[in-house]
Amino acid sequence: MPLTREDVAALAHLARIGLSDDEIARAEKELENVLKYVDRLQKVDTSGVEEAAPPAVAAASFREDAVIACDEVGRQTILSNFPARQIDLLKAPAVFDAPKK
Amino acid sequence: MKALNELSIAEARERLDQGAVSSVALTEACLGQIQSLDGALHAFLEVWPDEALQEAKRSDERRSRGLRLGEFDGIPLAVKDNMLVQGRHCSAGSKILENYVATNDATVVAKLKTQGAVFLGRTNMDEFAMGSSTENSAYGPTKHPRDPARVPGGSSGGSAVAVAANMCLGALGSDTGGSIRQPASLCGIVGLKPTYGRVSRSGLIAMASSFDQIGPLAKSVEDAARLFEAIQGADVLDQTTANVEAFQASGAVVRRQGLEGVRVGMPRQAWGKGMTDEVRTRVRAAVDVLTSLGAEVVDVDLPYADEALAVYYVLMPCEVSANLARFDGMRYGVRAQASTLLETYLQSRASGLGREVRRRILLGTYALSRGYYDAYYRQAKRVQTLIQNAYASAFEHVDVLVSPTSPSTAFKLGEKTSDPLAMYLEDLFTVGANVAGLPAVSVPCGDASGLPVGLHLTGRMFDEATLLGVARAYEGARG
Repeated sequence: MPLTREDVAALAHLARIGLSDDEIARAEKELENVLKYVDRLQKVDTSGVEEAAPPAVAAASFREDAVIACDEVGRQTILSNFPARQIDLLKAPAVFDAPKK
Repeated sequence: MKALNELSIAEARERLDQGAVSSVALTEACLGQIQSLDGALHAFLEVWPDEALQEAKRSDERRSRGLRLGEFDGIPLAVKDNMLVQGRHCSAGSKILENYVATNDATVVAKLKTQGAVFLGRTNMDEFAMGSSTENSAYGPTKHPRDPARVPGGSSGGSAVAVAANMCLGALGSDTGGSIRQPASLCGIVGLKPTYGRVSRSGLIAMASSFDQIGPLAKSVEDAARLFEAIQGADVLDQTTANVEAFQASGAVVRRQGLEGVRVGMPRQAWGKGMTDEVRTRVRAAVDVLTSLGAEVVDVDLPYADEALAVYYVLMPCEVSANLARFDGMRYGVRAQASTLLETYLQSRASGLGREVRRRILLGTYALSRGYYDAYYRQAKRVQTLIQNAYASAFEHVDVLVSPTSPSTAFKLGEKTSDPLAMYLEDLFTVGANVAGLPAVSVPCGDASGLPVGLHLTGRMFDEATLLGVARAYEGARG
């Protein structure tokens, strides 16, 4: 299945990766090669074959759906990992460019 | 006599227990080795000398009072930079996590801490574990310990070099398509990928969750078995961990000699093209050793072996595109300064994520998008079933499967960086075990032109005991 430059630009936008035109051109070529390789899967007859399920092994027991507070050191580490903060609140850019009047 | 940093974990354990050596002395020997070699090899992204020595001192104090926390009390280890160690930087080899500090311990780290292990530092890796040479690290490549012009393999290249160059006694790595076994092979050490579900991934920065598995890189099969024994087990923090009988690094495994009654399969499909002549010669000789130990070696059919890599390169990017969506510069990591939220996302991810990572996210986004999902993702999941069935059929006739670990020995830096597909082919022999969820180990089987070659053994689900027993018997016979 051929991939166009516009496809790659759309994918990059969907994945929220800002790519320059040069990078898009290069990605187009590299993705083409990989897609050509994986296209061999199309030749495999899988009629009547189920999709692989997670390993059929008894999974670890479910844990209680309970709130577990983190300790103060953990809390401070989480806060210090914020790229921007105001007191103990995470600061993020506004979702809307300009608030509605 | 061996220097202290050259000891295996088993040897160090014995000497610690006898009081013949201290943990501080072991730790100092490793730190000394790091100081003299790591400028050239770059196995570590960060070394924690003060904390390691403090931990070693505490271990020695316990020992002087006749106490021992566990098998790893006082043993200096290294950990790949995608496993969380509380209060320490953890970057997964990526720029976007340059400043990230771990808020908690990964389960495997917590287990080893409980046993008294000493952590020396975090090791270099391909960014988010995506690569087979450690050249994709945002912090520069790791070099091969025997020839700094060559790669050590990857993605756990830093851990492999740290072990091979005696900068630590053992290390942890992670393996999604071969990332423990291939660098172990290229560096001449032992690397184990346990069965999917054996080891908790809580606190491992996820790449492709249906394949990721943590395992040991070690100087001997016994050390690998001991490390694996220490980190295994069901964990409520990782729903994929299985409630199965625990593996025991018993004498029957780690001192196994004969292989009478063991059936070893050589998959016809794996022994065709796709490997260099010298690798083929070395690994064939290793198979002859297995025969001489009493194993019965037979040819087996393993259909769809060629498709495993293609299945992997569809499913893995899909999971990558989902798992890495969280790295958006909002709650942690590097945030680009831009005027709008959308621009902040676009720029943070463009500047924070490297080329290979971006490539795989795009590939996964494509394979999951409407109109392509059936052709790629769904078809790959069906072929995955066929591959799992093929392994199950093969294991009706044999106990382990053998192949080379890597198609060639360590290649030159830069040799494969411009051709992603050539790099992907490094996973050719290892990826089947990930696609089928099986345990597999790489054991050194001699050199070719001065560079190590690895023997790859794949075992039945949760049968690491047989797998490692065969590996140990081979290791002992080869000497």
